Amino acid sequence: MTQKQLFEIAISWFKQQKWTPFPFQKDTWTAFLQGKHGLLNAPTGSGKTYALWFPIVLNYIRNNREYKTRHPKGIKAIWITPLRALSQEIRQSAERITLDLETGLTVGIRTGDTSSRERATQRKTMPDLLITTPESLHLLLATKGYDQIFKDCTAIVVDEWHELLGTKRGVQVELALSRLKAIAPEMRIWGISATIGNLEEAREVLMGPQTAALQNSTLIKANLRKKITVISIIPKEMETFPWTGHLGLRLLEEVIPIINKSKTTLLFTNTRSQCEIWFRKLLDTHPEYAGEIAMHHGSIHKETRIWVEQAIRNESLRAVVCTSSLDLGVDFAPVETVVQIGGPKGVARFLQRAGRSGHRPGKESVIYFLPTHAIELVEASALKQAVKQQAVEDRIPYLNSFDVLVQYLITLAVSDGFFPDDIWREVQGTFCYQAMTLDEWHWLLNFIVLGSQSLQTYDEYKKVVVEADGRFRVTNKGIAMRHRFQIGTIVGDANLTVRYQKGGYIGTIEESFISKLSPGDVFTFAGRNLEFIRMKEMQVHVRNSTKKTRKVPSWMGGRLTLSARMSELLRQELYSAATSSGDNPRKPAPSAEIIALAPLFDRQRQESIVPDPGQFLIETFKTQDGYHHIFYPFEGRFVHEAMGSLLSYRISLLAPITFSLAFNDYGFELLSDKELDMQQVLDNELFTVEYLFDDLQKSLNATEMARRKFRDIAVISGMVFTGYPAKNIKMKHLQSGSQLLFDVFREYEPDNLLFRQAFRETFEHQLEEGRLRLALERIAGQEIVWKDCKNPTPFSFPIITDRLRETLSSEKLADRIRRMTAKLTRR
Amino acid sequence: MTRTISLQDQQFILHPSGAIYWPQQSLLLISDVHLGKVSHFRKFGAAVPVSAIRRNFEMLGETMAFFNPKKICFLGDLFHSYLNGEWAFFESWVQSSNLEIILVSGNHDIISPLKYQALGIKVVHEWELQGFLLTHHPEERTGFYNFSGHMHPAVTLRGKGRQSLRLPCFYLRKMQLILPAFGAFTGTHVFEMEQDDEAFAIADATVIKI
Repeated sequence: MTQKQLFEIAISWFKQQKWTPFPFQKDTWTAFLQGKHGLLNAPTGSGKTYALWFPIVLNYIRNNREYKTRHPKGIKAIWITPLRALSQEIRQSAERITLDLETGLTVGIRTGDTSSRERATQRKTMPDLLITTPESLHLLLATKGYDQIFKDCTAIVVDEWHELLGTKRGVQVELALSRLKAIAPEMRIWGISATIGNLEEAREVLMGPQTAALQNSTLIKANLRKKITVISIIPKEMETFPWTGHLGLRLLEEVIPIINKSKTTLLFTNTRSQCEIWFRKLLDTHPEYAGEIAMHHGSIHKETRIWVEQAIRNESLRAVVCTSSLDLGVDFAPVETVVQIGGPKGVARFLQRAGRSGHRPGKESVIYFLPTHAIELVEASALKQAVKQQAVEDRIPYLNSFDVLVQYLITLAVSDGFFPDDIWREVQGTFCYQAMTLDEWHWLLNFIVLGSQSLQTYDEYKKVVVEADGRFRVTNKGIAMRHRFQIGTIVGDANLTVRYQKGGYIGTIEESFISKLSPGDVFTFAGRNLEFIRMKEMQVHVRNSTKKTRKVPSWMGGRLTLSARMSELLRQELYSAATSSGDNPRKPAPSAEIIALAPLFDRQRQESIVPDPGQFLIETFKTQDGYHHIFYPFEGRFVHEAMGSLLSYRISLLAPITFSLAFNDYGFELLSDKELDMQQVLDNELFTVEYLFDDLQKSLNATEMARRKFRDIAVISGMVFTGYPAKNIKMKHLQSGSQLLFDVFREYEPDNLLFRQAFRETFEHQLEEGRLRLALERIAGQEIVWKDCKNPTPFSFPIITDRLRETLSSEKLADRIRRMTAKLTRR
Repeated sequence: MTRTISLQDQQFILHPSGAIYWPQQSLLLISDVHLGKVSHFRKFGAAVPVSAIRRNFEMLGETMAFFNPKKICFLGDLFHSYLNGEWAFFESWVQSSNLEIILVSGNHDIISPLKYQALGIKVVHEWELQGFLLTHHPEERTGFYNFSGHMHPAVTLRGKGRQSLRLPCFYLRKMQLILPAFGAFTGTHVFEMEQDDEAFAIADATVIKI
């Protein structure tokens, strides 16, 4: 069949649906049928699934003239989705095509939710089109004879590639592709990505740098521009609007008319706890909404979430309070309005959320921004600019993630075993490991075989063995079984299931929260007030309670940082406030948000200044907490954490001192029980970029941050065993905190590559060393303005009230203890 | 740097390794060494550094050399799990130490007492000695002052400027002293100090009263 004939099949199908294919869909069909790989840049709800399911099916038709009667077995295509929840929709769109075109192709889903019976059936006969997640794909690679499963696969589609790209799940995809390329020579690689700053790089990561696949690939852009309107909710009385806070409840009443005006409204919060509180408060103040509003976040039981999603589609809900759990996938046509509560911290996320409304071609998206404290209005103003300029962030891919590689090598050793020379070539062709050295590779092989780098005379380490023919293989059944349970790169805090005593699941909750509760305590979860009865075998038993409570579980990892693009826009907006007071007629008029903030800026100017582009502001003052030293780079919390620890280290070289460090997206604070000689700090040029890496490494803080990174690394690389999910098999003697492991490595094996990776990730992903360097260079060109204030200023307020702190010290432990003892809090 | 305390008219010396020496009895008390833990993890595929195994024995050696006791009593959790290669190290250490050794068994001690007895080690559930009760789990018994382990106690100190610090410690409460874990690969559990409780923290090879 010619391409023209194939196209006719597709176009006539579109006609039957009364649709016309978009140019980007046709372009994708053409490229695919020409045998090309590619990356499709298209937003959710644009028909991207038809852009790729069609050529997959058409290609099958082309290769099987008698496709209506003859049906060769085996996987023809794999569709990778980051979210299990999306798999049903993807299956539906695939089945529409396969049924209507009478191909007889079967569509199957294989994710963590798939029952073991269905898995077994699939093992006998794989579906023709398989929808799966990166983790489940790796599990297939851990199956004996996996090369036979994939050998006739003609396509692999990685959906929402932008979501995976900057994560270790993305690395997992890279590794799986490197293997599949070798065993399925006919396979085309396709990615689908929303708009991000580094689309070209996204393609390179997917295909592998300098590979034949990259040479033979294309980037197709849907270019479906959508009108987005951003409306800030400006408090009526700015004078009394709080300077600090992150909940935004003060403006709750402003949301009511917005909800009443629309068919369905989504209210996006930044954390699950904020979501819980907003839902509760909405119901408390507006009981008439009972049954008409719902809540949706990642810790709520799956069935409840599916119910909420269905109810949005049925238009039976007025409003849903949600978190990023509703960022992705699933089209909700009835959503008319979106409210963002608090700064979304990133342009891409904000655009994604805005795009959830007006989800029909030609319709405009409306998003309201509700500030949780005064200065967040500056962020609102910056977001408007960002939307106008489409200033979307990059997603930074991981490099040399040895933990993921260790896991992958053991995966291969568990199934059919591997020969290192073959795998070295494949792995080296990936983006993540392109710069890995042969020494590092040998180190990793030693690590999985010997558990160390030197052959011990005595050792009982068991994992991978090298067989006589040089094949690396796991022969121990227990090791293999435990490894299969551990495949994946998403590491959460130990999660406990919350359920009623008489049965009925409510959701999951982090162990750290429950450990602070005593029986009888009441907390809010999934929109209910629940009394904690007991904890039993990883389950939390609760009953409904009528008692009022203020306890809301907080989930870790809820803290986001301002992206580089956002912080730049934020600074510009802020500077517009500084310069607007001057009389430069050529300056553009400040935004409504900046004008509304005038009372706050006036207060700020009473004690201090609102900096302009040429100024770097430092404020100092004293409260009963101690001496506050506050710096305002406006670079986002991660850069501030890094800069704060760098600065305190450098200060501590001048004289022994201990700081606790607090930071937010606007600046950071060094709080001490002693006063700091600020003039000395300024005289010593402590903001220099010289010796940056060394100084950062030496600051105690980097170790503490690396300790947190190490937790994920230890789990992913299989050094910490998390237990069998839902199986309640006791592994008592094998449980150890990754904290403890970190300390042991620090003391006994500091050159371990996985231990060092924790530091590297800290510098590259947490401290954002690259951004820090740029920020310091920017500051070097600014005039430093130091204001010695009598009272805390409006700018400083959100920072000094932050309770999450890091400690940095250059004093002797014994000296610190002596002073602390005096203040020790006794019950 | 050690610290001497007095309990029930007896002198005791707290050592930064986590051991306590009772001069009158020439008895060294050590709790929660968790020997074999590193090997146990390695056997199951978790590559904990091998050198941590050696450290336990070095620490034992250093502490013995410091006090030169006649007797040593382990307050439970001497071995972390089932028998493994570290037992051989332990055997040779026992043979070279030339001491009277008593093991008050703990929840982790699942190795047969016969194996200990073969080495001349006495295994008991508890030990009453001169008005002192030695156990693994903390206990209250009228007329006895209790030494125990099991809890791996630590304290968190808070200071001005919202600083905090977590340190392993000897924990003293009503008629009880809980020893810190001696082992190199053991965690800690933070105690909230009640009124009248006392703690001696270990920091920088020093024992410091809190």
